Amino acid sequence: MVLTIESVSKAFPGVQALDGVSLDLKPGEIHALMGENGAGKSTLIKIITGLHQPDSGRVLLNGEPVHFASPRDAIGAGISAVHQERNLIPRFSVGENILLERPPTRGGMIDYDTINRDARKWLDMLDRGIDTRAEVRTLSVAQMQIVEIAKALSLEAKILLMDEPTASITEHETAALFTLLKRLRENGVAIIFVSHKLEEVFAIADRVTVLRDGKNAAVGEPMTTMTRDKLVSLMIGRKERIAVLGERNADMADVVLEARDLSTSDGHRNIDLALHRGEILGLYGLVGAGRSELARAILGGAEITSGELRLHDKPVRIRDMHEALSKYRLGYISEDRKAEGLILMHSVRENIAITIWRKLAGFLGLISGARESRAVEPFVEKLEIRTPSLAQTVGNLSGGNQQKVSIAKWLAANAEILIVDEPTVGIDIKTKTDIHELLGEIARDGVSIILISSDMPEMVAVADRILVMHGFRIVGEVANDHQYETASKAIMACIHAVEDDEPTSAG
Amino acid sequence: MSETTGPASPVRNRRPFLGGASGQVGLLAIVAIFWFIFSTLAPGFLSSFNLYALGRSLAVDIVIGFSQMVVLATGGMNLAVGSIGVCAVMAAGFLLQDLGLPISVGFAGALLLGGALGWLNGFAIVKTGVNAFIITLASASLFLGAMLILTKAVPYNGLPPEIGAFGRARLFGIVSPLLIIAIAIGAALVVLYRFTALGRQILAAGANPRAAAMSGVPVDRVIVISHVLSGMLAAAAGLMVVTRLGAAMPATGGEEWLLPSFLGPVLGGTLLSGGSVAVIGTMIGAALVTTIRSGLLVLQIGNFWLQLFLGLILLFAVLVDRYRSVYAERRSVGVKS
Repeated sequence: MVLTIESVSKAFPGVQALDGVSLDLKPGEIHALMGENGAGKSTLIKIITGLHQPDSGRVLLNGEPVHFASPRDAIGAGISAVHQERNLIPRFSVGENILLERPPTRGGMIDYDTINRDARKWLDMLDRGIDTRAEVRTLSVAQMQIVEIAKALSLEAKILLMDEPTASITEHETAALFTLLKRLRENGVAIIFVSHKLEEVFAIADRVTVLRDGKNAAVGEPMTTMTRDKLVSLMIGRKERIAVLGERNADMADVVLEARDLSTSDGHRNIDLALHRGEILGLYGLVGAGRSELARAILGGAEITSGELRLHDKPVRIRDMHEALSKYRLGYISEDRKAEGLILMHSVRENIAITIWRKLAGFLGLISGARESRAVEPFVEKLEIRTPSLAQTVGNLSGGNQQKVSIAKWLAANAEILIVDEPTVGIDIKTKTDIHELLGEIARDGVSIILISSDMPEMVAVADRILVMHGFRIVGEVANDHQYETASKAIMACIHAVEDDEPTSAG
Repeated sequence: MSETTGPASPVRNRRPFLGGASGQVGLLAIVAIFWFIFSTLAPGFLSSFNLYALGRSLAVDIVIGFSQMVVLATGGMNLAVGSIGVCAVMAAGFLLQDLGLPISVGFAGALLLGGALGWLNGFAIVKTGVNAFIITLASASLFLGAMLILTKAVPYNGLPPEIGAFGRARLFGIVSPLLIIAIAIGAALVVLYRFTALGRQILAAGANPRAAAMSGVPVDRVIVISHVLSGMLAAAAGLMVVTRLGAAMPATGGEEWLLPSFLGPVLGGTLLSGGSVAVIGTMIGAALVTTIRSGLLVLQIGNFWLQLFLGLILLFAVLVDRYRSVYAERRSVGVKS
């Protein structure tokens, strides 16, 4: 055993995060660590890397008890990690971030040539499209994640911990990462791999440890004896529920939002799309295809350089989100809920009511707290947001419940059109199913939804029609038959067709 | 229900020094200790005249603190509170003495000027995207310079006598009407932040401007409004000084207001990073500043010591805050030590 966790416990204010959890890690294995949100996976990773100290229990490295006071100690002992939270310095370049702990020097000065060369080496294994000299803050969420992974790999550690490394990257990049992880495994590296995606765990892991409510539900079970159903029931303590989306009848005669030959300052060219009342229109594409950017351009975040944006058959220019909401009842659920979806330090009530404060305000702009609570409560109930009270700080909720809060505020605002960007990234199975059903339900109520997602099963399950984007253009449309095999094949065919036309964009 | 408060991202919503109700009690205790010390050393400290004078300067300190607090709420700052204050003072002098306008018109004009200068700050910050620190550092100098050129730094000593009379008025023997006004402003601010859409939007924009903007909050607008409010409050503090002195003096405000303007809100528990205000805390924080100033005066310790003391208090506050948060964390995770 290269790493052994012996009945480790850890409590945070008001919650027992880990309760006597054990895990053992062999050299040359990929060990999946699974569990629902809040099961304690991230806490365990943080204890191994010295970010948290256990209240009781031991961590043994090669049979010796160790005590890491800080992440630096853990790195020194040959443990490197990709955490769920981003740990990059936004104004440093990609290369500087990757080699942050040990910048190569020449004559006492930082040697940028070596930085760029070394960083290039690790990045190339995952994604050739990222410039090592680019400032990290200019990258997309997915590219940042790739940089995080490259940084962890570059330490060439004997133990590699990956906390949801694939949560925000594409299938392409995931495949590249898996090839790399398998190679590392052959070289004797021990890997702990945290993921919500069952397909991934079955594709790559040798053994699995499952946590449920801070306790072990399984310790180091070989994946060969594991089935999907068994794994899910270990994680959630019962059987998986399939999303029931029911029949929906989008009114295809009523176009609520339309782009005609739209080009933007972000680089979109000749975008044509039409969203109908009560329809869920999928916008699928690989990272860098320009999907989120298109959403932002519609909402006034980029300039429309030619073509037309029409709402309810009238040409419009939306200046900002304030106008989008107040004038056109247009809502946007961000893919980055922590940075722009929620105000983490404020309460559940405030986070939901933020879109309707103006409406709630009465005489002299005064809002009654009781009235605010009454306005918010139905949505907390409808979305089954698990919170001790409306006054709870949103930052203390689990990821799934946080996402529900960020959806609830648009339902409260009574939005007619919703742009939903990667709604289930990093969210556990049960909540994911809940959110899919919820999207179906609100579409049935007449809300028109643009769903942006890189999660193919999600796209196939939820969308009515799928537009495929590539290189800031729309390259195809797939009438979704909700059959994974055929739909995913049709989608990938659209992308491959244009990739073959552009030999320059190899990668 | 323990799993709903999942540990995946334990957000530490601790406030700076002595936040929350328990913190304000602690701060009040510190003020009481100073009162005890000063009154023991100098019995004159508790004389009705001194208490009256103390209340009068407290009123000014509270409003200065508010004028900073309302921009701290947005995550910004206003280094020009003193300059705006003195501009309003001299404008009032000009309107009342040179133009002979009625007192209400003169004071309203001064408040409007304060609001306008605040608007300039807010507009420049929002339009340029430059940090509030730089903009207000520049405007502090700009406003003060313009005032000195226009007025040649000549005081207005011939104001209507009613102004001085109001400043000297006493309610129940020891309470200055200025203090009542300051408390009323505080009450209005509590209502603003707790019960109005605008106040909520200001706090949301301060806590996370991107998330607030993406939720349809007009972030730029609420920042500008906060600066207008800050300018008007600075002007109000200036006018309080005018009533106290019975004259408009060009030496009012300026840099002298800077430290007290931050001390009140920060001691009281307003977050420097924005998104949270402590109105009552700011009033108690101001009380600490006023108490120390008055105590040193009664003890006839020179004014030079005041700056040193205020600096020490601020440092002490930060240290206590640090200790408290470490202690609280240890206790809550059950580490035995």
